[in-house]
Amino acid sequence: MRIQVENISVSIQGKPILQDISLDVASGQSLALIGPNGSGKSTLLRVMAGHIRADRGQVMIGRERLTDLSPRNLAQRLGFVSQEASTTDAIAVEDAVKLGRTPWLSLLSPFGRQDRRIVETAMAEMAISTYRNKQFNTLSGGEKQRVHIARVLAQTPQIFLLDEPTNHLDIRHQIAIIDWVIRHKSTVAMAVHDLNHAFACDRVAVLHGGKLVAFGEPDEVLVPEVIERVFQVAVHPNFAEQLNRPVLAFSKSAATP
Amino acid sequence: MNRMTFGGLTPAVSLVGAMAILLAAVSSALVIGETVIPLSTIWNVLKLEFGYSAPQVNPIDQGILWSYRLPRAILAMACGASLALSGVVLQALLRNPLSDPYILGLSAGASTGAVSVAILGFGAGVLSLSGGAFIGALLAFGFVAWLARMARGEGASSTSSLALLLAGVAGAQLFHALTALIIAKSADANQARAIIFWMMGNLSGSRWPDVYLAVPVAALGLGIIFSHFRALDAMTFGREAAQSMGIRTGAVMAVLIGTTALLTAIMVSLSGAIGFVGLVIPHAVRFLVGVRHVLLIPAAALAGGVFLIMADIVSRVLIPGQTLPIGVVTALVGAPAFAVILVRSSRAHSG
Amino acid sequence: MKCFSVALALAAITTTGAAAQSFPLTLENCGHEVKFESAPESAVTIGQATTEAMYLLGLAGKVKGTAVWFTDVLPEFADANAKIERLADNTPSFEAVVNKRPGLVASQYEWYVGPKGSVGTREQFHDLSVPTYIWPADCVGKDNTVGVDGTREELISTEIIYRGLTELSQIFGVPEAGAEAVANLKAREQAAIERASALKLEDVSAMFWFSSSKMDADPYVAGAKGAPAYIMAKLGVENVVTSNEEWPTVGWETLAKANPTYIVLADLQRRKFPADSIEAKMEFLKNDPVASQMDAVKNGRVLILDAHAMDATVRTVSGLELLAEVMEKQAASQ
Repeated sequence: MRIQVENISVSIQGKPILQDISLDVASGQSLALIGPNGSGKSTLLRVMAGHIRADRGQVMIGRERLTDLSPRNLAQRLGFVSQEASTTDAIAVEDAVKLGRTPWLSLLSPFGRQDRRIVETAMAEMAISTYRNKQFNTLSGGEKQRVHIARVLAQTPQIFLLDEPTNHLDIRHQIAIIDWVIRHKSTVAMAVHDLNHAFACDRVAVLHGGKLVAFGEPDEVLVPEVIERVFQVAVHPNFAEQLNRPVLAFSKSAATP
Repeated sequence: MNRMTFGGLTPAVSLVGAMAILLAAVSSALVIGETVIPLSTIWNVLKLEFGYSAPQVNPIDQGILWSYRLPRAILAMACGASLALSGVVLQALLRNPLSDPYILGLSAGASTGAVSVAILGFGAGVLSLSGGAFIGALLAFGFVAWLARMARGEGASSTSSLALLLAGVAGAQLFHALTALIIAKSADANQARAIIFWMMGNLSGSRWPDVYLAVPVAALGLGIIFSHFRALDAMTFGREAAQSMGIRTGAVMAVLIGTTALLTAIMVSLSGAIGFVGLVIPHAVRFLVGVRHVLLIPAAALAGGVFLIMADIVSRVLIPGQTLPIGVVTALVGAPAFAVILVRSSRAHSG
Repeated sequence: MKCFSVALALAAITTTGAAAQSFPLTLENCGHEVKFESAPESAVTIGQATTEAMYLLGLAGKVKGTAVWFTDVLPEFADANAKIERLADNTPSFEAVVNKRPGLVASQYEWYVGPKGSVGTREQFHDLSVPTYIWPADCVGKDNTVGVDGTREELISTEIIYRGLTELSQIFGVPEAGAEAVANLKAREQAAIERASALKLEDVSAMFWFSSSKMDADPYVAGAKGAPAYIMAKLGVENVVTSNEEWPTVGWETLAKANPTYIVLADLQRRKFPADSIEAKMEFLKNDPVASQMDAVKNGRVLILDAHAMDATVRTVSGLELLAEVMEKQAASQ
């Protein structure tokens, strides 16, 4: 399912956070959203997830407007993994993943065999099946993140939005998640800090000061002119033969003190 | 697996088990008291009240059982269940394990309402202590809700729970101060003492009219809260996560917090501010049946009801010839119980 | 406090040949030693009991201000009382009292003037050279730290009331007024006791119901050692309440099971609790499923007594008389 952002503008308490952003992610494609801190990445993802209401513009989920969808219908189509989901509850991993089925359950259709199968698949895909009875709060940061992704997988949406899913993760888990993004057939939009991760996606969008300064394929967008201007670092592109894609190295910019 | 089970027991078995526990608790409350009344007498009184013939019973015993102890036990059950349910809801919605039903300023407002009637004479004899308490509770809650709204303003929805908590603290402090002011200015020793006793919770004087109000209200509250069990589960990881799972968090919070406030206001007006039930019972039950609300909600209601019935019995027999305020008993039991739960669950967490 | 000689002269003029009070006077009063070089010129009274005690001793002229009133003043003192400033119906402020520059502050309860006094501590007054006097009924044989109204260790007796009258009369240099008042009250007390014993009652018990915070809630009843208990004891009636607290709450269950011969209801003037009025109390007794089954209710042995007679004050003896009278009437109607 395609997700389309059309002329989205958002101001919070008078300050413009996003200005006239338009982009789209075709069905089955992945999009990396990059930009310095404060560029509006999280806000854009939240607008796309329906958590923040834009002042102008609209978001299209498939052929429907996001604002026309009920929260339940939206949740059946779109899943959101945010950075801060923690809990003080003593919830087991399996129960946490089961929560993902919430938008599909009701009095008339309670948790059934098919739901169980979906939960099992999600846990297997994130390699957490062996943790199923462990308390969520006893897991490491990386394991917790995988549980959240499993939960959103269990939600069986057609669109995945992830807000910096690789933060606080060790390199092994970072790679695992990026790997999942590449392999997955769904539509994915992901905010990332590590610019090298962005190469794994079909499209890259660069935000700077609330404006969309570049949008296109990684090779076109992740070029020194753009990166040096937006991130204020010096870029040294390389090529990794084994991965068959560019790899960037960074150093302090000559221009800035 | 299409059938829902309650921790391994089928719904039918669980229901029967719950009824049995309740029956045992209520029976204890009928038998034990300032004087012990044998079960046979209780059986005879029940037969008489329902129109069957039975051997002659001392009318005082009959009056005590049917008009004093039975409504008191039922009211204790309804209050205990309501307070425990309120605790479950607020702990889930506010994402704060220290939440209890009074965190929204309800008991502080009820005290102010009660002293306004008893000491300042508000309501000119038309309003009872209970009526004043109810109005006071709702006024305080309204103030807290308004304050939270002001504090929240625009901004991320994740701060709204914090705003509500802080507003609740501020509101409670304000109304506590008002209560203290009224007592200091106007009360003589007897009145001050009566208010203090009332504020600590008191089920004496419970009669059938109180039951006719409390039980339907508690049942309705239980129904509304139980119907939201999925939404409460969804709040585990916060409001935003719940939203992304398709829950209308704004509407759900408004309905559930409003229900809790009304439920608590009514119970506090009937029985005074009984503490620790709303705080400790949810934790104790979570420890036993887990965090899934489909189990937690009915279990907490049952545990809260039984606990308060037992606490009421203790309050009547602990010191011979005197009745302790029930809030003292719930605190004496609740505080150490809370400590035990805390230690056990921190071990479980790190395990 | 004026000089020695003027006070002596005044005392000589006002007395009619009886022995005048000798000064300096030292009294032990509720754990404090209070010294008087001469009779005080004026007093402020806190608490209706001390106020009416002063009036009974003919000392209304010396009272500059009164505070804390439970009911209307006794009718025989109404005229005198009307001329005296009422500082407050309830607790007065420390400054209001001190501004009257009283020669003595007399308080009915330590709750007002005492270690945790709501008006002030005794030391606060003494620091300003204002002596204080606490009505002995509140501290003799009573522990004010236990129980909200205090707990009595020994049964109170009218001796304590007489002591208060005597001491106050001594302080103001009119011991003969005190002696007269005490003799009067003692005679009345004795007469009432004789009337009661003439009834030849056996195995008689009673409870005193003061009020309740809620109509159906546990009532405040008279404890085992306070003035109502004294009245009952002197009239040969057993108090069914055994608690030593002044006004404990006892459940209707226990009271119904104790089934006292008489139920005495306090007639209060205030209307703060629904159970304050006699009508409300009577209605409860008639309609409550348990209380209505009590023998006293079924046989019309419910007596009404002025609430103020239930404190250890000058009215206690009237309470004795009244109770003896209603018991007589009730016995006659059987």
